[in-house]
Amino acid sequence: MKQLIKRELIALWNDPWQLALVSYIPLVGIFGLWWLFSAGLPRELPVAIVDQDQSQISRMLVRRLQANSVITPIHYQDINSAKASMESAETYAMVVLPFQLNRDLLTGHQPTIDIRYNSQYLLVGKLLSSQIQLSLADGLKSKALLKQLAAGVPMAQAEVNLNLVKTQVSALYNANSNYVVFLLPPILLALGQLLAMLVFANSLNRELRQETMTEWFSLGTRRVLWAKMLVYTPLIVLQGRLILTLLYQYLGLPLAGVFGQLLLAQIVMLLAVWLLVLTIFFLLQDAARVISFCTALFAPAFPFMGITFPTQEMPQLAQWWRKLMPSSHYIDTHVGVVSYGQDFAVFVQQVTSYWGFLLLVPVIVVLARRVRREWSAEASTQPMNEAP
Amino acid sequence: MDFWSLMWADFKSIVTDKAIAITLFGGVLFYSVLYPLPYLHEVPTKQQIVVVDGDHSSLSRQLIRHADASPKLEVVAELNNINQAEDWIASGRAHGYMVIPEGFRRDLIRQKGVTLAYGGDANYFLIYSAVLEGLVSAGIDAGKYVQFNGLLARGSSAKQVKHDLEPIKLNSVPAFNPSLGYTPYVVPGVLLLVLHQTLLIGAGILGAGQWGREGYWQQVPAMKLIFARVSVFALIYSLFTSFYVGFCNYWYGVSVQGVLSQVVLFLVPFVICTAIAGVAFSCMFTRRDLPTQVLLLISMPILFVSGFIWPFELIPSPLIWIAQVIPAIPSIQGMLQLNQMGASWSSVAGFWWQLWGLALVYLLLAYLGVRYRLNSK
Repeated sequence: MKQLIKRELIALWNDPWQLALVSYIPLVGIFGLWWLFSAGLPRELPVAIVDQDQSQISRMLVRRLQANSVITPIHYQDINSAKASMESAETYAMVVLPFQLNRDLLTGHQPTIDIRYNSQYLLVGKLLSSQIQLSLADGLKSKALLKQLAAGVPMAQAEVNLNLVKTQVSALYNANSNYVVFLLPPILLALGQLLAMLVFANSLNRELRQETMTEWFSLGTRRVLWAKMLVYTPLIVLQGRLILTLLYQYLGLPLAGVFGQLLLAQIVMLLAVWLLVLTIFFLLQDAARVISFCTALFAPAFPFMGITFPTQEMPQLAQWWRKLMPSSHYIDTHVGVVSYGQDFAVFVQQVTSYWGFLLLVPVIVVLARRVRREWSAEASTQPMNEAP
Repeated sequence: MDFWSLMWADFKSIVTDKAIAITLFGGVLFYSVLYPLPYLHEVPTKQQIVVVDGDHSSLSRQLIRHADASPKLEVVAELNNINQAEDWIASGRAHGYMVIPEGFRRDLIRQKGVTLAYGGDANYFLIYSAVLEGLVSAGIDAGKYVQFNGLLARGSSAKQVKHDLEPIKLNSVPAFNPSLGYTPYVVPGVLLLVLHQTLLIGAGILGAGQWGREGYWQQVPAMKLIFARVSVFALIYSLFTSFYVGFCNYWYGVSVQGVLSQVVLFLVPFVICTAIAGVAFSCMFTRRDLPTQVLLLISMPILFVSGFIWPFELIPSPLIWIAQVIPAIPSIQGMLQLNQMGASWSSVAGFWWQLWGLALVYLLLAYLGVRYRLNSK
């Protein structure tokens, strides 16, 4: 066994791309994606303001918008130029403060403030819509308070009248709705799964490329596979540990459970990935096609995890496809450990959801035997062809 | 070898090479189904919430009924305390809760303020926002209902009361994607990225398999080979692009506002520039299994840096500068603005010229690369 592990390590050392996949590429990837989202909380997003009233109250409302950390108001002279700025994504929303807003308010009419937000950029648009409404409503409240006071309502009562039903909202498990907490774990998991798939597929493909398949079979099919798993599983889990360290120790994101379960869950996930890659490898037996197929399978893992778009809202077909992805099984454990601090019994239950992958084992055995026969047939015919 | 037979030879090697054919024809078709698949139901509805009712009054029951009637919510249980509610959320049986305090109805009628407490599982932002929107509007309605009745009882006219409760109307309307659906949000950008990536992979595998070997590609000058190859890929991809931008956008109900001629005009440099970049990119490899791997790893970063998921204002500027050399970035931005948001041609012309500029730069790189690969045997 030692000999086989050494064989694997030497091969790793002699393949610069494989070496890159287990060393600096994960580092660059993890750091780059974290840097991309490092702002965490959306802020100072440009919003077009068309102030047609130019009154004291319209300016007060703009100041309220300015005071919101998410919004940066940018003034436009007319609606058309504001619209053009929205169409070219220079601003993500626009607020039209209508002509005679102040006068209508004073004379008891009901003016309308129009808000348009860019829902093509859904995340930004929805956030701005709620923030703009919050800020404006708050500004209008202070106006209504004055009105009540003028009508002779005592201060204490007037305030209650305005906020009869107060709300207290808690975002559980992610107190300030931070996008780093929300998006970074599934994204890095998707990246980690891709790296794991590539590393393992490359180590299998190497035997094809260097035509060492017969050597592999003579060394013992299973023993070489065990050696590969023993070399690559710890290397990939190390990357997983690095991701966990970055997220929950260096960045200090909230963590309710313990790492132990997560590392175990990563090992189980990797075994499932290995099984999928092995099936494809023995089925196709061509380096470029193996990679293409694995890519097709694993590339869209992220949307199927169910973090950005909830699982139970997906069509049935998508939910089945989701079960094919080891990462979607892992993410349930991840959320459970990180947010709910689940105990070990729940984890054991989650691991049983991988049972479907075990069906691949007999398939792999059959395919491997077939490949082995083909290679031995080729090895025995070749000398005969060359002999005469 | 004349130009046409060179193009024909290139086309044949693309179609007969299984790895390339799978990526190009298989990949483009497969992804057009697979990527939009999870989002087909567009918006989350009927999210399970639990209620902790400390009041047990007519008004609290009405509030619960209103919450249940909201299309975004479904009340699945009434619990005794907030700890139970958190248990339900942790076990995934519910995604949000509402706590109605004791004395809710009495305090409201006596014009004392009350506080409703809402919570949602913020691990899933889309669920969280649906739960909150549903609960907040139900709560506001309950408050308004009491205020309305109170003011009416004190002798105000119904019209006056309505006005007092809402002195200004805030009319907030989504633009460009009126249903707030997830498919129209994700599909246009992601499908362009799929085109970009599969083209680069296809060209990469084709080149990587040819360099250093004998074949028709050795018998022609570098520039001729580049032009023939770019033409072949551009022709194939104009079909794929028409399928994606024409049919898929229509099929998935993406809002389309662009003018056909302008969209076509914009997509021309996208296809050409990406094809040239593909040929240049292929010169970096001699192993056929590598181009796919490199592109697979940079797919997600390209998607997130293209500005429609995470806004440019929040992305560190060095990353944006680096990203400008990738043809997909100006293409996605330009196409979203032109085709989905109805921008005028003059406001996307910058991206158009950027694509042509990139095409020139990649042409130079492709020339240097192909010449090097053809000379070193």
